[in-house]
Order: sequence, then structure tokens, then C-alpha cells
Amino acid sequence: MIDVEALTRLYVRDTLETHVLKGVTFRVPRGEFLVIMGRSGSGKSTLLNILGLLDRPDSGRYLLDGVDFAGADDDRRSAARNRKLGFVFQQFHLLERASALRNVTLPLLYAEEDSGDATRRAEQALEAVGLAHRARHLPSELSGGEQQRVAIARALINDPAVILADEPTGNLDAESGREILDIFRRLVGSGRTLVLVTHDRTVAERADRILVLDDGRIVGEEAAPSPAAGARSPAAGLA
Amino acid sequence: MSRSHRIARDVLVSLSAQRSRVLLMVLGLAVGVAVLSAVIVIGQGTRERILGLVEKHGLDMVMVRAGGEVQVFAPQSDRGLASLLEADARAIEAEVPSIDLVSAVQNLRGINVVYDDRSVVTRAFGVEPGWLAIRHRDVAEGEFLSESDMAAMARVVVIGVKIARALFPEGGAVGRTVRVNNDPYTVKGVFIELGTDSAGIDDWDDRIVVPLTTSARRLFNRPYLEQIVFRVTDVRRVPEAAGRVRDLLAVRHGIGPGQPADFFVREPEDVEGAALEASSTLSALLLAISLVALVAGGLMIMNLMLASVAQRSREIGLRRAMGARTSDITRQFLLESLFVALAGGAVGVVAGTGIAAALGAAGMASSRITWVPFGVALAACVAIGLIFGIHPARKAARVDPAAAVRGRAA
Repeated sequence: MIDVEALTRLYVRDTLETHVLKGVTFRVPRGEFLVIMGRSGSGKSTLLNILGLLDRPDSGRYLLDGVDFAGADDDRRSAARNRKLGFVFQQFHLLERASALRNVTLPLLYAEEDSGDATRRAEQALEAVGLAHRARHLPSELSGGEQQRVAIARALINDPAVILADEPTGNLDAESGREILDIFRRLVGSGRTLVLVTHDRTVAERADRILVLDDGRIVGEEAAPSPAAGARSPAAGLA
Repeated sequence: MSRSHRIARDVLVSLSAQRSRVLLMVLGLAVGVAVLSAVIVIGQGTRERILGLVEKHGLDMVMVRAGGEVQVFAPQSDRGLASLLEADARAIEAEVPSIDLVSAVQNLRGINVVYDDRSVVTRAFGVEPGWLAIRHRDVAEGEFLSESDMAAMARVVVIGVKIARALFPEGGAVGRTVRVNNDPYTVKGVFIELGTDSAGIDDWDDRIVVPLTTSARRLFNRPYLEQIVFRVTDVRRVPEAAGRVRDLLAVRHGIGPGQPADFFVREPEDVEGAALEASSTLSALLLAISLVALVAGGLMIMNLMLASVAQRSREIGLRRAMGARTSDITRQFLLESLFVALAGGAVGVVAGTGIAAALGAAGMASSRITWVPFGVALAACVAIGLIFGIHPARKAARVDPAAAVRGRAA
């Protein structure tokens, strides 16, 4: 689903060059829950932005579902973000003045074709994350965990193949964080590919596989025993 | 619903959720639009009032009479009446700017007009086709004299309403043949009723009018004129045009400085010209103020939009992540400023025309409400929304989504 080879990314501010990614190579098969772990400044957010077509690598190759968007224009990359990708952020990034329902319909605004009944689809997406009863509430009226579930519903509304999550539990208490990860496990179980970046070991342990990123390079890879796929079946073990 | 429709609707929903910011921008622009609309409404009212006065009093007409000023009170037979010729009229037409219509005029009293067994004695005028507009007259039935009547020296006549009543009590004068000093003339038209002037002397309902060529060659059989009348395109330039005509005729008639002239140029009283001058200066001033206010309103919209772009960079990044193209972001912010400008225009035009109408009703100004202020306000607001909206919109489109979604600010 995701095929990355020798990605590099260089930031230049004034005359200071920062090599954020120094040649990253990995693949994510369809239906995998991959965690990219790393400390702050390891380059994991930059990598996620490149995977999300929000940033372009300076060199290397990135195929999303077999398509190379390196030379694609803004319109094609935007259309791919809209159709193939769902984003979940640490700060939720909900529109403060919009109801949960309207937040969830946001990606439909930028779809190529009219989706028909946007409200009904948004209600279904909210129901999928257990928030149907909160549809008319503003983000400020929801708890952190609920806000993140609204954001997940928003990521799901266009039925994307890949979900990209950047520290999705970073602003949540442990209980809410577990709920979010449970939802993610369910999504992966239904065939979606999930790439999650975090610095949190307990989050990483729910993944199928962990890549450890340090100073712009992948320095380790491990198959994690995830609770759904493995923790209750110890056989999953290390690869 | 197309993508651009969906985005436009989303913008309206967003704006309705940011009332205080929107209200500030709307009011900022409404002030300028209100002043502009009031200026237009009062300007049109004033213009209409002055045009009415011009029409009523013939303020745009200048008359040149044969005979000098001192001779006006002399017996008619003693005046130097042979001084003014058609060539003088053609020279005025050719050489004096800001004059758009000229007519040479002859007249003679004691003309006999007969139809069947009825007859009247009246005063006849020989004029050119432009005379009708110069004197602000009109025909009620039939038509006025034409250029081809002039060229053909046609025996056609346009008659005053009293003549028509005397000769054709049953009506139907147009097309009949009357005898004017024993020659047959076809009645081409009947003037509208004008009534007598206050002195009761100048009764324009008791007149007949024939082509100048007809009067000069047939009816009066003489070349010289009693008058030349002309219309000045701009009431404010009447004194200037009259002066130029005076100079031109003095040269043509070989009259040196200080010598008595053999013609007299009569200008309309210039009171209303001064009023028009004053009111147009005032409206130019108000117009300038309203333009300044409009630009200020536009700059206010631009500033608030720029602040909004800075505040909402995370929202912009989020929308980009959700699949918005840069062009969608440009469109979103441009539509925001456009909708706000249109709302400001709507509030302003209603307030401005309302204030102007109230001033008019209170007798403090002449106001006339037409579609013009609404059209001007619409055009001005679309222009302001786009001109002052494009910079913030471009700036919004340039927000780097990768940096924006990572922003840690709450």
C-alpha cells in the first residue's frame, strides 16, 4: 500500500541546513497497523507529512497504492489526499465553531463528486465511533477523547484506504487513549492501512509492526505483540 | 451540488458563525456605501430639479435679436432690422463651442390663415427644425418641421392650439390644407397648449410656424432675421457662449469697441446656474468623501481578513489535508470578503437611500430614488470585495499545510 525508498528531506532556514530525513526505506502492506516511533526531532512528523502528500521529499521514491505523486500537481495531490487518505492529529484540529456533524462532513466539501446525503453519511461515521448522540455538539462541549473520535469519523467519511495518525493519543488521558487505539484496531481489522507516529511505547505496543526512527534514519524494526492481534495470543511474538 | 457551490455554502455557514468579526467588516464598508448612495440619490434629485427649472425657464437658451440694445424700445419700424442674416446663424453654429442647436428665426404679424369659411389673423414664424428643442416646445398632434421641409421650401405649417380650435372646432387639423396669405399650406402639426405668459402679450398658442426657407423665399420674401436662438450644452457655460457670440457677431458686422451694436444678445438669468454650480461642487466633495470611506472600508476588510488568515492557519492546513486545493482555499477566502462586501453594500445602500429620502421628505434636499445607487453599490462592493480580498486569499493559499497542521498553538 505504501512503498518508500531512500526518502530524504532537507530543511534550509537562512543558511542553516537541517537534514531531517537521511534516506528512509520501508513498505507497509495493505491492512497493516504500522507505528513509527521516535523521539521529538527524529523526523517522524516530516515523514508522516510526506506520506500524507502535504510535503514533498527532496529525493527518493514514494508510491501510494502504486502511484508516484512526486511529479503530480497540487490538484492531483489534493484529490488523492481527499480520496485515499484520512488524517488524525494530536490537537484534533476540529473547527471550533462547527458542530461535530459539520466537522465530519468537511472532507466531502472537497470531493470531486457530490456525495448526495452528506448529513446521513456523517451520522453513520459518528455512529461508527460511538458518537451519534453528540452530533449537534460543538467541540468545546466534548471531552478530549470525544473530540478525537469526531476527528476519526472525519478521517473515515470518504472511506480512505490509508489512515495517518500523528500522536493521536498525545493529548488524551490513558483511558481515552485506549478507546482511540481500540477504534484504530477495529479499522485495521476491516482492511484499512494505518500508519501512526508516536514517541509513546505503550501506544506502539498495539501495532502490528514498529519502525524506530532516530535522527532521520530507521534504526530498528520490530513486530509488536498487539492486544487485538497478539497480546491475548502470545504466538504472534517477534518476527 | 458542484464543488464550488459546496464551498460557497460552507463559507456562508462559516461566516454566520463569526458574527462579531463579520459585523465589524460589514459596518466598516456600509458607511462608505451609505454616503455614496445618499450622494447619488440627492445628486439625481438636484439634477432633476435643476433640469426642470432649465426646461421651464429655458435657461439653456440664448437669443440674439436684430437691432441694438438702445433700439429695443424704439418703434419697431425704426429699428435696424436688416442686420441679422442666416449666414450669422451658420457662423455661430460653426465657430462657437458648447452650442449644439442653432435656429435662425423670422417673424411677421398680420398673417391671414383661412380654412373653409373660418379665418384668423395671427403672427407667423419661420424657423429651422432645431427650434423646437431650443425653445422646449413640443407638438401634440402630427409632427414638427423637418430638414426635408427646409430643403423643399415646403408649404407646411405647424399651428398653435388656439388657431387649431378656431379653424378646426371639430378637431382633425393635421393633414388639412389651409390658406396662408392665400397660398395653400398643409397642416403638419399642432403645438401643445402653452398658455400665455403673465403679461398676456406673448401668446404662443396663437402662432403659426413654417420652415425658415419657406418664410424667407415665399411667405415673407426677405432674407434678414428677427432672431437667432441657440442652445448651450451646459447651463453653466451660457455666459461664456453668449460672450463668444457677441464677439463673433461684432467682428462679422464690423463693429469696433465702444460702438453701438446692431444686435442684442439676451441671456437667461444666471441665478440657477450659480445654484447648479454650488450643488455640483458640494456633490463632488461628498463623492470624494464617500470614495475615501469606501477605500477605508476596503482596507478594513483586508486587514481583518489578513488577521483571520493568520489566526486560521491551522484551519487552512486542516482543509488542505482534507483535500482542499490551493485554488479552493483562494476561493474560500475571496468568497468570504466578497460576501462581507455585498452585505456591507446592502446595509449601506438601504441606509444611504433611506437617509437621503428622509432629507428629501424634510425638504432639506432634493432626492430621487432610482436603481442607480443600487447598481453602483453592487458594482463598488463586488470590486472592493475582490480587490481587497485577493491579497488575503492568496496569502491563505500559500500557507504551508505541513507546518500549519503541526502548529502547537491551541
